[in-house]
Amino acid sequence: MPYLSEIQHRRVIEPNGNEVGKLADIAVVPQGQFPAAQWAIISTPSGEKVLRWGDLAQEIGHFRLRNRLETTPDAQLPADALRLARDLLDKQIVDTHGAKVVRVNDLQLSEVDGQLRLVGADVGLRGLLRRVGAETVAERVAGLAGRRLPRGIIPWHLVEPLEPAQDAPAKTAAVRLTIPHAKLALLHPADIADIVEEMTADERIAVFQQLDLETAAEALQEVEPEMQAAIVSDLPEERAADILEEMDPDEAADLLQDLSEERRDELVELMDKEEAKDVEELLTHSEDSAGGIMTTDFVALPREFTAAQAIDELRAKKPDPQLTYYLYVVDGEGKLEGVLSLRDLVVAPPETKVSDIMDPNVLKVDAETPKEEVAALIAKYDLLGLPVVDARKKLLGTVTVDDVVELMLPRGWKKRSLRSIAR
Amino acid sequence: MIRTAAAVRRRTRVRRASILAFLAVMGPGIITGFAGNDAGGVTTYTAVGARYGFEMMWLLLLSTAGLLVIQEMCARMGAVTGKGLSDLIRERFGVRWTIVAMLALLIANGSNIVAEYAGIAASLELFHVQRIVSVPITAVLIWVLVVFFSYRIVERALFVLVLAYIAYPISALIVGPPWGEVVRDSVIPSLPIGQAALIAALALVGTTITPYMQFYIQASVVDKGIDRDQYRFERVDVLLGAILTGLNGFFIVVVAGAVLHPAGIHVDSAADAAQALGPLAGQQAQLLFGVGLFGASLLAATIMPLSTSYAICEAFGWESGISKNFREAPVFMGLFTLLVVAGALIVLSPSVPLIPVILVSQNVNGLLLPIVLVFILKLAGDRRIMGDHANGRVSQWIGIGTAIGASVLSIALVAITILGAG
Repeated sequence: MPYLSEIQHRRVIEPNGNEVGKLADIAVVPQGQFPAAQWAIISTPSGEKVLRWGDLAQEIGHFRLRNRLETTPDAQLPADALRLARDLLDKQIVDTHGAKVVRVNDLQLSEVDGQLRLVGADVGLRGLLRRVGAETVAERVAGLAGRRLPRGIIPWHLVEPLEPAQDAPAKTAAVRLTIPHAKLALLHPADIADIVEEMTADERIAVFQQLDLETAAEALQEVEPEMQAAIVSDLPEERAADILEEMDPDEAADLLQDLSEERRDELVELMDKEEAKDVEELLTHSEDSAGGIMTTDFVALPREFTAAQAIDELRAKKPDPQLTYYLYVVDGEGKLEGVLSLRDLVVAPPETKVSDIMDPNVLKVDAETPKEEVAALIAKYDLLGLPVVDARKKLLGTVTVDDVVELMLPRGWKKRSLRSIAR
Repeated sequence: MIRTAAAVRRRTRVRRASILAFLAVMGPGIITGFAGNDAGGVTTYTAVGARYGFEMMWLLLLSTAGLLVIQEMCARMGAVTGKGLSDLIRERFGVRWTIVAMLALLIANGSNIVAEYAGIAASLELFHVQRIVSVPITAVLIWVLVVFFSYRIVERALFVLVLAYIAYPISALIVGPPWGEVVRDSVIPSLPIGQAALIAALALVGTTITPYMQFYIQASVVDKGIDRDQYRFERVDVLLGAILTGLNGFFIVVVAGAVLHPAGIHVDSAADAAQALGPLAGQQAQLLFGVGLFGASLLAATIMPLSTSYAICEAFGWESGISKNFREAPVFMGLFTLLVVAGALIVLSPSVPLIPVILVSQNVNGLLLPIVLVFILKLAGDRRIMGDHANGRVSQWIGIGTAIGASVLSIALVAITILGAG
C-alpha cells in the first residue's frame, strides 16, 4: 500500500523515457467510501499541468505517460475536487465539535480493482517520520529496543472533509476533516474498539459519550484492558456506571479491578442494585481464577421444570447467545445437578422433565481454579462453557468459551491492525 | 479555544458602541507587549544604555517599528484564519519546514527561559537569597501552579509587579537627560564597529522583536475568538502593545544612558543595573529594580514553557492541554516539564554569570529571528491563505526590511566572531 509521501515528487516520463516533470499532487472528488484518484497534477518547467490519472501508468520509481505530453489532453479540475497534498495533507482532523484532535501526517492509498484509491489518513508517528524519510531508520532503532512503532491510521470512510466556510478566503484554509460519530455507531463493536484504540484521549471520551449504551458497552469490552480503565476513569461517573451496567458482569468486574479503589466504589455505588451485586461478588475473586472471569448471568432451570416450561423460561429471560449453549439444572438450594444443551431441550417432547434429559455428569470447576486450567479444560473437551461451583456444589456462575478464547490464542493475535478494516 | 458566555455577550455588544468594542478585543497586543518586557528586555536595554549611551536609540526605534508591523501581521493572521502560527506553518510548508521553524522556536524560547531564571536568580540575589535556593523553589512553584491551578492567576498577580517599570519614565523626568542628544541619536543612525557593539545591537533587536511574541500574539487573538470584523479594533490594541514595548525600552535606555553611562558603570550584575534607578529611589533603588525584574522574569518563566509546548504540539498534531496527564499528552507535558527543569538547572550552577547569560540569550533570539520572520512574511503575504487581508506592499516591504536588517546584524556578528576581529 503506497503512501502519498512515497509517490509524490516521483518523475513523470514520456513513453520514450524523456522526463517531463514530477508528480505534484493527486486530485479526487470526495464521494463514496474510498474516493479514486482521478487526476494527476504534474509540475513541469512551464508550470502545473492537470492530467487524467488514467493517462499515467505507475512503474517502479516513476510514472510513465501513455502518450507524449503534447498529445495528452489537459483536464479540468471540477470545483469540488480535492488535491490531496494541498488540501488534505498536514491539516487537522477535528471531531464533530470542532475540538482539536490530530494531524494528517500522510495519506494512505491502495490499488483496489485496478483503481488507486484514498483509503486512510495516517495520523501517527510513523507518518511524521515517513515525511522526513526517517521511518525505516526509526523502525530499526525501535526494533533494537524490542518495540514496534505504532500505526495510527484512520480509515477514510470514517473521515469527511468539512464544507468550507462561506466567507473563507480560500478553500485550503477551511478544509478540515471530521470523524462523524454517527458513522462510527454503524460499525461492529469490535471494529469501533480498534478505531477507538488509535484515537486520542479526548476523542475516545467523546465517542463513548455519544454511542448508545449498548454499543458503548460492547465496544468497551473489546478495548484493551489498560485503555478500558483509562476511558472509564475519564468518563463522567453517571455515564461510566450506565455503561458498566450494560456490560457482561464478568467484563465489568475485570474492568473495575483495574481502577483505583476509590473510583471503583463510586461507580459500583451508582450502578443499578442488581447489577452492582453481581459485580461485587465477582470482585471478591482473583482476576486470574475461574471466579474472576466467570459471569453470574446464566440459565439455571429448576429440576422439576418440563421442557416446555424451560423453553418458556428462555423466552421470558432472553439470555445472551453465549449463555444459551448450555442450560444448567439446579435443585431447590441452587446446587448443580446436571446440564443439557439447547438442542437436547428443543428436541425433547414438551412434557419431559428436564431432570430426565439432563446429563448428570457435569464437568465443573471451583472459583479458585486458575483461568489457564479452565481454558485447557474447555479446549480439551471441546466445550462451549463450564459451570463454576462452590464447596457445596452451589452454582455460582459460568465461564463461557468467549471468556477464555484469548488464553488459547497465540500472543498478540487480538491486536489486529486497523488496516484489516480499511480495506 | 474556549469561548465563554461572557465573550459571546461581548461580541454582540460590538455593534453597539465602538469604544466598548475596542475594550472587548483589547488585550492580546498589550499583554504581549508586557510579556516582551521580560528579564531579557530590561537587562539588555540597561546594558546597552550603560555601555553606549543613547547611541543605539535609532536601532531601538527601528526595531519597534518592525515589531509593530510584524505583530500586526500575526494578529491579522490569527483573526482571518482562526489558526495559530505553528498551525499555519505546518499546513503551508509541510513537515520538514515545520521542524526547522519549531527547532528555531524551541531554541529561542529555551534560551529565553534560561534568561528568565537568570533574572529570577539575579533579582532575588539583591535580597540576599542564594540562587541554589531561589531557582529550584521558583521552578517547582511554576510547575505546580501551571499544572494544578492556572497560569491566568499568576499572570494577573505578576502584572502588578511589572508595573514597577513605571519607575523608568519617572526617573527619566527626574534625571533630566540631554534631550537634544537623545533626539539626535534617535534620528541619526550610527553603530560603533566591533564585536561587542554588534552583540549589543543584535541583543537589542532580538529582545525587542522576539520570535516568541509573534507566536504568542497570534495564539491570543485566536483564543479570544477575534474575527475579521473585530479586527479593526484589535489593530489599535496591537499598536498600543508595540508602543508600550518601545516606550519601555526607550525610557530604560534613556535612564541607563543618563545615569550609568557618564559614570562609566558597566552592567555586570543586577546591583549595577539597579543603580540606574538611584536618582529616583535612592536607597530603595535595589528594591524597586528587584521587584520589577522578579515580576517580569517570573511572568515570562511561567508563560513561555507553556506557550512553547502548545505551539510545538499544535504543529505536529500531538495532544496538548494542561488539564491532561502525562499518559494522555506525553509530549506536551514532557516538553513543558523539560523546559522548566532545564531552564532552572542551567542557571543553578554558581559559575554561570547571570547578566551575560541573559544578554547571550537575547542574541540567540536575534540570530533566529530572521528564520521566523521569513515564515511570517510568506504566510501573511499569501493570498490563498489570507485572501483580501494579505499583506499590502508597505507592510510586506517593512517586514522584509526588518528581516534583512536582523539578518545583516546576525551574519556580521557570526562573521566577525569567526574571523576573530573586534
